Amino acid sequence: MAGHGPGRFLMRLTDVETPALVIDLDALEHNIAVVANHYRDKSIRLRPHGKNHKSPQVFAMQVDAGGTVGGICAAKVSEAEVFVHAGAGNVLIANQVVGEDKIARLGDLARRVDTTVAVDAKVQVEHLSKGARESGVVIGIVIEVDTSMRRGGVRTTQQAVALAKLAAQAPNLRFRGVMSHQVPRRRTPTREQRFSEGDRWIARVLEVKRSIEAAGIPVELVSTGESWTYDVAARHPEVDEIQGGTYAIMEVPYAYMSEFRFAARVMGRVIDQADANTAVGDVTIDAIGAPNGVPTVDSPAGLTVVSIDHHGVVLKGDGVKGVSVGDPFFLLTHQQDMTMNRWDRFLGVRDGVVQSVIEAPARGCIH
Amino acid sequence: MQRPIEKPVGTRVEELDTPALLLDLERFDDVASQSVDPLTPVRVEAWIHKTPAIAHRQVALPGAAGIAVRSIAEAEVFAAAGFDDIQILRPLVTSTSRQRAEALAATARLAFEPDRPLRGADWFDEAVSVSTRVVSVPEPGRAILDAGQKSVGRDFGDPIPLGYENCTVSAGSAEHGIMAFPAREATAIGDWLRLRPADMATAFALHDFVYAVRDGLLEAVWPVTARGAF
Repeated sequence: MAGHGPGRFLMRLTDVETPALVIDLDALEHNIAVVANHYRDKSIRLRPHGKNHKSPQVFAMQVDAGGTVGGICAAKVSEAEVFVHAGAGNVLIANQVVGEDKIARLGDLARRVDTTVAVDAKVQVEHLSKGARESGVVIGIVIEVDTSMRRGGVRTTQQAVALAKLAAQAPNLRFRGVMSHQVPRRRTPTREQRFSEGDRWIARVLEVKRSIEAAGIPVELVSTGESWTYDVAARHPEVDEIQGGTYAIMEVPYAYMSEFRFAARVMGRVIDQADANTAVGDVTIDAIGAPNGVPTVDSPAGLTVVSIDHHGVVLKGDGVKGVSVGDPFFLLTHQQDMTMNRWDRFLGVRDGVVQSVIEAPARGCIH
Repeated sequence: MQRPIEKPVGTRVEELDTPALLLDLERFDDVASQSVDPLTPVRVEAWIHKTPAIAHRQVALPGAAGIAVRSIAEAEVFAAAGFDDIQILRPLVTSTSRQRAEALAATARLAFEPDRPLRGADWFDEAVSVSTRVVSVPEPGRAILDAGQKSVGRDFGDPIPLGYENCTVSAGSAEHGIMAFPAREATAIGDWLRLRPADMATAFALHDFVYAVRDGLLEAVWPVTARGAF
């Protein structure tokens, strides 16, 4: 469905059954515009990450705003499929894909759109080459370079050059380049710290890129960076694209990126007032996810989350005096992709009115 | 919606697409049958697994009568699946939810106050796991798994890898598990293992299907129908 046009549903937010995941459409559009405007006159492009919102409707908003590659970044093959079915022009799977049947599925995707996958070991390259040959397709290869996270990714430049040589010669593979993903060491970096740290990680992946080129293998793609380095990466002409998603929805720990606004809130209602200072709400931990700490109350003022479990959320503070059973409250998440992944659809809200239901068909696509 | 590669009943559990939420039926039936006393009827806490097929199995036990769920939305899912004795644990505070309850009362007896002991939370502790594969071994003593927070959950802590006593797993990433193991132990890309979630209800809240397994073979695939019915 077309999505975010005004006047489609026109239910008042106050009438919504809770808990509900509500998206502030003004904030979402603002966030998307910030990156699109920043990239308008630059060669760098955004590859929107599907894992962050799971929604082809939001992806379409990102593409329509401009400055993107017109394709999707995905964590999993099945997640990528949802976006390709909805019209994504190309795919980069920013993870290793392992297993004969999963590679066959990747081959099906490559038959439809230009498809690239990340590798960090020879055996993956060999299996992808064999699978691509059996599917009669060509699969693009980027080498994942570990910069700061100690997850997947080659640890040394030599490993990367050896893998690039292998991939460049393997039947039915097209060696494309390098990718990396990183997090800042400090929880709330200043702008200067953000740029110095981001520059350092990007310099690392570019060093690998140049070593591969020095070995005589052309590199056409450097895909590095994410929301917190969208502007850092833009200063490096050798970076082709960033893999960004958090910026569109936002989360509390990312508040240091002050140009972006919180677009997602889980709306709940007070279901009990245990005492003058304690209220219980109907938002369960399953409805928001809290692997990085309890949610933050956005409104009403004077409320703090003290705990959240499978039965609800406990709120304390002076604000309890001002609320009654049945009153709404709004929570901000500390990890937006975990929250979005709990909901099959969100409510698009503007001026206190539900304007649209935004479907998230890639929710739960963990394969 | 989860979109796994479908495999037929009888498939070896190791061949199921990963990650998969697994229920060991032998273990579950053992624990469940020993946990109820026909003389003291209990309500089954169906909200934990959100799966009508499992709840039907539980209420069939002598001593189990009726189910308990958290929300009107969960109650609607279970009523549609044939359950007619449902306790709703959360108070209804909106007129819409009270109207929904009135409509539901035409087909099911609804309870809002405790009437029988609630049971079932502990029946899954040894029976539920999430299967996963090693997708990368980037350095000695470290393996990257295809199951992270979105597959096994971390709201109540990290999972435990089964059969890997010397290893720890952190589900510190949304999409990856990170397994640390003694460097001399060999682990290879493609290796299959199972993780025991720290919290069963969280694991069910993340999956659309649970794979019921007996003797290492797939016996049934059950939809977690009330997942997301917050």
